[in-house]
Amino acid sequence: MSKASKINPVRGPVQLEVMEPVARFSLRVGKQGRQQLGQALGLELPERIGMRSSQGGREALCLGPDEWVVLAPEAERETLFTAALEAYAEVPHSLAEISDREITLRLEGERATDLLTIACPRNLELMPPGSGRRTVMGGIQVVLWRDGQDAYRLDVWRSFFDYIHSLLETGNREFAAEAQLESQSA
Amino acid sequence: MLLIHCPYCDEDLPELEFTYAGEAHIDRPADPASLDDEAWRNYLFIRSNVKGPHYERWRHNHGCARFFNAVRDTVSDRFLTTYRVGEPRPDLESLIGKEGRE
Amino acid sequence: MTAFRVAESGRVRHDRPVEFQFDGRSYQGLEGDTLASALLANGVHLLGRSFKYHRPRGILTAGSEEPNALVGTRRGPGRYEPNTRATVQEIWDGLQAESQNRYPKLSFDLGAINDRLYMLFSAGFYYKTFMWPRSFWERVYEPLIRRAAGLGKAPQEPDPDHYAERHLHTDILVVGGGPAGLSAARSAAKSGARVVLVDESAEMGGHLLSEPGLVIDGQPAWDWLAGMLEELRELGVRVMSRTTAIGYYHQNFLALCERLSDHLKEAPADLPRERLWQVRAGQVVLAQGALEKPLVFDGNDRPGVMLAGAAQTYLHRYGVRAGDRHVVATSHDSAWHAAFDLSDAGSRVEAIVDTRANPSDALREAARDRGIRVLSGHTVTGTSGRLRVNAVRVNPVHDGSVGPAETLGCDSLLMSGGWTPSLHLFSHTKGTLRWDDESDAFLPDQQAEACHIAGAGRGLWGVEAVLQDGDLRGAEAAEAAGHKPESGAFQVENDRTGSGETHRELPSDRKPGRARAFVDYQNDVTAKDIRLAVREGMKSIEHVKRYTTNGMATDQGKLSNMNGLMIAADAVGKAPPQVGLTTFRPPYTPTTFGAFAGYHRGDHFEVVRKTPIDSWAEENGAVFEPVSQWRRAWYFPRQGEDMEAAVARECLATRKSLGIFDASTLGKIEIAGPDAVEFMNRMYTNPWTKLAPGRCRYGLLLGEDGFIRDDGVIGRLSDDLFHVTTTTGGAARVLTMMEDYLQTEWPDLNVWLTSTTEQWATIALNGPNARRVLEPFVEGQDLSPEAFVHMSVAECRVAGFPARLFRLSFTGELSFEINVPARYGRALWEKLYEAGQQYDVCPYGTETMHVLRAEKGFIIVGQDTDGTVTPDDAGMSWAVGKKKTDFVGMRSLSRPDLVAPGRKQLVGLLTEDGSVRLDEGAQVVADPNQSVPMAMIGHVSSSYHSATLGRSIALALLKDGRNLKGQEVYVPLPSGLHKARVTDTVFYDPEGERLKV
Repeated sequence: MSKASKINPVRGPVQLEVMEPVARFSLRVGKQGRQQLGQALGLELPERIGMRSSQGGREALCLGPDEWVVLAPEAERETLFTAALEAYAEVPHSLAEISDREITLRLEGERATDLLTIACPRNLELMPPGSGRRTVMGGIQVVLWRDGQDAYRLDVWRSFFDYIHSLLETGNREFAAEAQLESQSA
Repeated sequence: MLLIHCPYCDEDLPELEFTYAGEAHIDRPADPASLDDEAWRNYLFIRSNVKGPHYERWRHNHGCARFFNAVRDTVSDRFLTTYRVGEPRPDLESLIGKEGRE
Repeated sequence: MTAFRVAESGRVRHDRPVEFQFDGRSYQGLEGDTLASALLANGVHLLGRSFKYHRPRGILTAGSEEPNALVGTRRGPGRYEPNTRATVQEIWDGLQAESQNRYPKLSFDLGAINDRLYMLFSAGFYYKTFMWPRSFWERVYEPLIRRAAGLGKAPQEPDPDHYAERHLHTDILVVGGGPAGLSAARSAAKSGARVVLVDESAEMGGHLLSEPGLVIDGQPAWDWLAGMLEELRELGVRVMSRTTAIGYYHQNFLALCERLSDHLKEAPADLPRERLWQVRAGQVVLAQGALEKPLVFDGNDRPGVMLAGAAQTYLHRYGVRAGDRHVVATSHDSAWHAAFDLSDAGSRVEAIVDTRANPSDALREAARDRGIRVLSGHTVTGTSGRLRVNAVRVNPVHDGSVGPAETLGCDSLLMSGGWTPSLHLFSHTKGTLRWDDESDAFLPDQQAEACHIAGAGRGLWGVEAVLQDGDLRGAEAAEAAGHKPESGAFQVENDRTGSGETHRELPSDRKPGRARAFVDYQNDVTAKDIRLAVREGMKSIEHVKRYTTNGMATDQGKLSNMNGLMIAADAVGKAPPQVGLTTFRPPYTPTTFGAFAGYHRGDHFEVVRKTPIDSWAEENGAVFEPVSQWRRAWYFPRQGEDMEAAVARECLATRKSLGIFDASTLGKIEIAGPDAVEFMNRMYTNPWTKLAPGRCRYGLLLGEDGFIRDDGVIGRLSDDLFHVTTTTGGAARVLTMMEDYLQTEWPDLNVWLTSTTEQWATIALNGPNARRVLEPFVEGQDLSPEAFVHMSVAECRVAGFPARLFRLSFTGELSFEINVPARYGRALWEKLYEAGQQYDVCPYGTETMHVLRAEKGFIIVGQDTDGTVTPDDAGMSWAVGKKKTDFVGMRSLSRPDLVAPGRKQLVGLLTEDGSVRLDEGAQVVADPNQSVPMAMIGHVSSSYHSATLGRSIALALLKDGRNLKGQEVYVPLPSGLHKARVTDTVFYDPEGERLKV
């Protein structure tokens, strides 16, 4: 995955793009010292599940009551680790690197939400742009970031990635076929 | 497919994000070694298997990953309430009063 | 134009002819026709043979409730569908349909002999006729019955179509696109709610499509309909035609099946055939209308006998007359209107036969105006005609006695036994029904879900009343969904309100035993069968249903349940509400397996997880095996090698010099926090406090019941950080179990768990040359035996990649496991493989891994354990911390059953003949001469040919196994009885010398 590749730019209404890797961490910390640790990591840690924050290229998404996924540019990987290590004595926590655990797929297009509903049972309308959730797609756990009304990122565990990707491609082709049929009958 | 209220996420979410995790309010004894065989057997294996409102555990495993407790009527398959781990058993009478008994 | 088509009538396109075939003959229909309407237009009424008696059958209805007109449809290779309802299938150019359940042909069917033998096939005949001799059931009776009975044949080829799925969330779902559904959708949408409106038909409109003479709000019905649909579109209502709500589940969760391509001649390749929608609705409006009931009389199944409402639909919606000369038999006003409409369209109506003594004067007058003879207070006692009805026998009824018969010639008999509110979906929710004396019908009573029933579904009659009701229910639903309701008013002219009566089978002057009065057409159940069932002791309607199979066909008793109930109630001597209805269950109409499977077929059937090194294995000829969801390289055969040869070579190469193995699927959990070591102590049997950072240890995990659940090597990276490995299949389960304890039992512990299974690619290097190959790549860790002793772990760099390096061994050889971030897995593998060439490095798969570990007596959890094996049973008491006061499962290890003698213990087995490899799972006996069934003392859990030892080896769980060491036991296999000696579990290098390289 050296280059971000556009998959099937013409075969379906939704653009599907495999993203370049970023530094990704699972951050776990209790209530005590949470904001202090956030400061050390250069991030605000949102308290509500599903809420996100971003600062200087770093992003955090609250996945659980004591859990965040933290993204940073690859070059800042060591910086983050060091900052966390320095804060550890005062604010015990867990910062586990998961950069390679997941691969990210980006979806964009007017029908992006519809496309996700071929596999995602959640009501995506209750997940406004700028939020995110851990959820399930086609029986597989994913982290879904809603970046805009019609733009999403989907973090999928590496070995499940091809399955989800090709499922979404199938749905995308289906949408194209339906559109073709509609334009014929119109 | 049930719709389940996760008390941590504070959202009603599809059952597909959850897994069932057995009866609730069965605490692991603090000092298992002090229990006689029968008491330990009861902890391991004896469950209430009720017909009606049942205190049970669920996990929002494809979400916030938290275990939580619920009262579900095993006859109607309806959730009467869900609540966080560590919170006391909700009062059954008031729950049933709220939902209406079948 | 075909003989029965009415010019310029219906919603079909008269300018667009469509050619199709039925039983090999070509016919012409029109665009917009169903197969049924097109065949009727051609005067074809005979469509199939019935299930049991092979009686000729025709078209009874004009909708999805059709029990009779089932045909096979063919849409090219692999696309054969049996039991398609001709009343639903839209025609297209080139459609091929064929009749079913007939031999040699539809008009002359040998199976019709069953009809002559009907006495044999009465209710419960399975249980009576074929009782003796007993052995005949399997060999003679059942095959015969199976051949003779049944409907369509299942296709043999794989289905070439694909099927789709969607999830949908909406405020309000309206089921049914008739007048009630339309007005409900509109009022709900006007209130601002999001609304989805579905209808199973190709077009919205429902009953309005069959009654164009209505004038609604000053507009002809069809103009009003078009305007309504336009308005719904503008309001943003999602209108879905050809979409059947098949099931209604908890919390307003409904399944819809949308048919996308069955009506098309050609469809884009990527268009799914069907799509299953899973809908969660805040509120549901059920506007499913009502279904017309047949009358039950002798010969009510002859082709040409049709429901009057269906004839009205064929006339108005499709422009087809159901015949030239009609007799109408009815107990409800609605059929009179069908007769009038047909008469007005040029058909001859011989008579209207009404079971009621006093039909309304208005109806009589309208009949008189058209010159239609009216026979009120009459019953129908028979029909005649071999393949199509040609006469009806009717008799007057006075004070319950049946008078002399009269025969009326006809080619079409239209009947109506009144209407049943369609409450199938409501029944799915466990909503209860109550009997309504006024309408002689069950109406909705207690609701179990947030739903609203509109229109004819709750017993209303007449389009104005139904429109008004839909509008109110829609508003009610919108309000319940939190919107401000808005409702309107409707004015309908030419509205045909009416009423009717409900009957059991009609009275007759003939011997009831000879009557073939059908209640359930599809399962060939007659009124006589139901009475017989009651006579034979079936008092509950549920028993009657199962004994007679009434209502158990694919039409789910849509036409038969009420008639069956009326007859059963009469036979039992109770009122219908005391007898009650059987439960309707999903799906509402037959649904393809494809729709349920959705995307889960072919490549999407199940996920296949692949490691970062999988692609290398594939390129290098690996044979794969599935391990939980993973596919793993099983062995790497060279030219001409079979599995045994490949595995033997891989084993020898590894023991001799160097093997390389992809262990990436091992579960990995990072355990971090100040209380990490305390948590480890509580979870695992082993002690962890004294394990120094930089060292690792084999860990054993039990369930609270004391039985082995999982194992793996665990490295301590720092005081507060452990790198835990689990079995491949146990990864998710172990993490869940740990989270459970942490969250619910020990929330006070400051420790966090993260799955890192897929963060790391794991490569195992095994063999005496492992260090030589690895050493040059490693930066930041001295690999010398002194500096990096057996059971060590280090964070370092390998080939420039950040790595977690373990020295451990699952083979008994000098061994390293290198974890690098997954993206580098294949690159590292290739570098090691290349560098290993000088040592003849051998890539090996899971089979060799299994053999090598078995030679060393290492267990595989789940293979050598089965959920009933304790550490002691497995000979692993050494892994249990003796000084520990508690860990998960510890208390159970002293339960009486777990310390009692006679437990099965893991031992080795060596067959007397080393070339014999025992079957895994084979049972072991102590005495081969005992009588059968023999007392089994255990089973073989692992068994391999060991190339290293030049013979077979096995592990087994044997009762008191350790006491049997040195003794002989016997393993009976299909190949014969094999003698084996009980041994220690370690077959190779018991002193562990080879680790000291």
